[in-house]
Amino acid sequence: MKKLFLVLLCVLLAAPLALAADEKPVIVFATDATWPPMEFVGADKQIIGFSIDYMNAAGELAGFKPEFKAVAWDGIFAGLGAGRYDAICSSVSITEERQKAMDFSEPYFRVRQAIVVPKDSTVTSLEELKGMRVGSQISTTGTFAVKAVAGIESKTYDEVGLAIEDLYNGRIAAVVCDDPVAAQYALNNEKYKGALKIAAVIEAGEVEYYGIAVRKGNDKVLNLVNEGIRLVKERGIDQELMKKWITE
Amino acid sequence: MHDGKVKITRIEIGDGAAIPSQRDEGLFTAWRIALVLALGTLLYLVITQPEPYWRLLKFLPDGIVVTFKVTISSIALAIVIGLFTGLGRISRIRAINLVASTYVEVVRGIPLLVQLFYLYYALGRFVAVPDMLAAIIAMSFCYGAYMGEVFRAGIESIDKGQTEASMSLGFNRTQTMFFVVLPQAWRTILPPVGNEFIALLKDTSLVSILAVSDLLRRGREFASESFLYFETYTLVALIYLLITLVLSKLVSLMEERLGRYDRR
Repeated sequence: MKKLFLVLLCVLLAAPLALAADEKPVIVFATDATWPPMEFVGADKQIIGFSIDYMNAAGELAGFKPEFKAVAWDGIFAGLGAGRYDAICSSVSITEERQKAMDFSEPYFRVRQAIVVPKDSTVTSLEELKGMRVGSQISTTGTFAVKAVAGIESKTYDEVGLAIEDLYNGRIAAVVCDDPVAAQYALNNEKYKGALKIAAVIEAGEVEYYGIAVRKGNDKVLNLVNEGIRLVKERGIDQELMKKWITE
Repeated sequence: MHDGKVKITRIEIGDGAAIPSQRDEGLFTAWRIALVLALGTLLYLVITQPEPYWRLLKFLPDGIVVTFKVTISSIALAIVIGLFTGLGRISRIRAINLVASTYVEVVRGIPLLVQLFYLYYALGRFVAVPDMLAAIIAMSFCYGAYMGEVFRAGIESIDKGQTEASMSLGFNRTQTMFFVVLPQAWRTILPPVGNEFIALLKDTSLVSILAVSDLLRRGREFASESFLYFETYTLVALIYLLITLVLSKLVSLMEERLGRYDRR
């Protein structure tokens, strides 16, 4: 009798938890929060940015709860493969190479590569940087663009902020990164905006799209995220967010 | 009692890096096993799985060159700094002694990685110093303090009688130091310097954080672009191990040669 009572008690206590858990699945997104304005650490130590707001909106509409985990860019794909988190929301450009290793959601943002140079530089294209050192974040499409031009000495940094700092201090001739980030540093950032400018947006390069990366075969998360993105686009929330976060 | 061969007991400054110790005899020494395993694994991987290991091996050499450049420049500069620091620490001029001692205290109190970052960005702000030079300066600045202690210990280990005899022969303090004491102290100083050289080589992997394209950085670039993290770091670790094994053998050979005249 006592045993039965105890079992019933446990079931009763567990039931609300089980029911609550079914409410909204949690999707853990890894993000390298050093990429303003897409994802970065705000003044109050929270991860904020365009991508964060986008995923939060997507979660509201599609019915999942996004959680963001700060992970260094260098091992972010390895962590996905190892199952440490469900998805990557870190301005990952969709490339063929990457598609072999992971699945991507629908694109949610369009970028091109931009070249940031010191204010008094006369460089207007990537070719003109031959023989000079150009910085970029390790293993990003910016680095691939730099390496594609023979004769440029490519310097890869752990974070794009470190590359910009070196550019500011005159150690390198230019930084190649996605255009919203370039705009953020060269036009918006208090410290850098007087000293840097955007030399060019690489028009000849391919247009890139950001996608959310998930482990190959993880359709459950992929479908939820895709649904969220679709609904956000439908409601025009992405346009609002662009106005809020992206400097032209 | 003695049948020709005299076994000298030496007080060894055991710091683990000098793996081939004099007393290691027989076919299977730790060094030989490590070398065979490392070399064997490396060759096995490259030959049986050329994709990705051969591709990786072709990607890394310029990183190895940079690693060596940084190591050798840093150790040379560190020895110079160490010499002056060691001399400063035993100097009777209080000012010099204080400067040297403060330098050693400060440097030994800050982690090498923090020093690297600090000197890199501080030097960048005030003086335009290229990255490799900044890395070399930072590494020698840090290791110079440890070298200073090694030099000091070596100098202090020389019998006071040497100094007294030399002074009574008419040498002044500076001449005594440079012509009598240091040449003898060198024998005690050189093996620890050799070991610091090996430790420095491994610590140069930290400069990869300054975007200096050393061996580790090249490895990271390859790994994050190809997603072959395990394969890349296996190979990088093997290469570091092989380089270190070769160098530690050279250090122990040097110790042997220096110790040859110890048998009296």
